[in-house]
Amino acid sequence: MIFKKKKITLEYTVEKCSKCGVEEKRKYSEGDVLFSQCSKCTSCDGMMMIEKIFGESLEQ
Amino acid sequence: MSLVNFTSFDFEQLFAMSDDTNPLMMLIWILPIFFFVFYGQRIQLYVTSGEIKKGIKKLDEFRNESRDELISYVNKNLKPADDPIPKIDRFIDYFTIMPVEMDPNGIVDKVQHIVRSREDYTREHVRSLSPQMSDIELSKAQTLLEIASSLQMIYKIINHMYLTAKKQNNYPLILPLQMILPFIMEQSEAMKEAISVFKKGQPVGDGIGPMIVGKMMLEREKETIAFQTTLVKSEFEGRKLFLVKAEGPGSTVGRPADGLEKIVSENKIDAIIMIDAALKMEGEDSATVARGFGAAIGGIGTEKFQIEAIATSKNIPVFSIVVKQSVKEAITLMTKEIADTADSVREQVNEMIRENTTQGHSIVIIGVGNTGGVPQ
Ligand SMILES: [Zn+2]
Repeated sequence: MIFKKKKITLEYTVEKCSKCGVEEKRKYSEGDVLFSQCSKCTSCDGMMMIEKIFGESLEQ
Repeated sequence: MSLVNFTSFDFEQLFAMSDDTNPLMMLIWILPIFFFVFYGQRIQLYVTSGEIKKGIKKLDEFRNESRDELISYVNKNLKPADDPIPKIDRFIDYFTIMPVEMDPNGIVDKVQHIVRSREDYTREHVRSLSPQMSDIELSKAQTLLEIASSLQMIYKIINHMYLTAKKQNNYPLILPLQMILPFIMEQSEAMKEAISVFKKGQPVGDGIGPMIVGKMMLEREKETIAFQTTLVKSEFEGRKLFLVKAEGPGSTVGRPADGLEKIVSENKIDAIIMIDAALKMEGEDSATVARGFGAAIGGIGTEKFQIEAIATSKNIPVFSIVVKQSVKEAITLMTKEIADTADSVREQVNEMIRENTTQGHSIVIIGVGNTGGVPQ
């Protein structure tokens, strides 16, 4: 169909610090698993945990 | 200036009504009527079959794609001992014959037996492709196989209906096909898109229940209560909580009913709360949260039956909390809206516990759904 726009899904990962609660959204990278600890928090000495993995669709 | 003056058409001239003695004009008018009376259905058949053909071509692509994806996944990740293609082709064509329904007595057990033996059989044969694969890889390969097998089945059935109608030039036969095709296409497209999500081990929309319960389970001692099903004992404001979900992050729905049966046989339970994804109605917003009574669990119905039977026999109230979503959202990568409901649903679960139980009570909380990509 001519009018059908192509939809693409962008994958994101949201990390949350378990200590201070700061959230950070970044592009999903292969190997990300929900609830796994991945990096140090930038604002305190806590660990960041993957809180959500989701997709957002964009129309092109 | 207007090119067409709509108010003063000369109808008589347009339809040549004034000249009703002209036999040629009469023939021109009457012939198409006869033509459409006798051949109208056939013309419609051609028009519709063109559309359906396009759909079938797409379905054919879907099934081939899903088969190729499965083969490439097996070859790349599982390092099979020998060529997996003939084996995979054989699995894809496996069929299931449901038990007769003439005598419904005991049919749930029969259906459950057939479905479970099919699952067990597939699992063992996928495992035979590569004996050293992990359980997570195994569950992923099994899900991919199920998708490929479903797409194959859909293609075969639709193609059969189409070819039969065409062979017999039977227009009424093609009507039901035309009616169901849009639904079938939507579902098939969703299944095709689901492949990459399961391959990468990402959570799907249906995984919202396990995701919420999985988060409550973090950093607590886990035990396996039933096949591919995890139990965690926890506490909340003086109540004892039994948290149940399928064992992640492999792609499985587990056997929550078996787990519940075991919990109930060993403990006195005062309430059951089920968290699940539910199909939204057309026009309803995605990711709306709704509460209600009764067992919220999809699938073929055997688990639901079992849970209801346990709840009834022990007189335990069953509360449900569902996150609405479309068929597609349920089996493809979880959308932001659905993921964002997690905190609110958890808050509502707490509310439900406070409203419906008192201190000292024991509550089973089940996170229902496919737990692919959702650990605990
Ligand atoms: Zn922090």
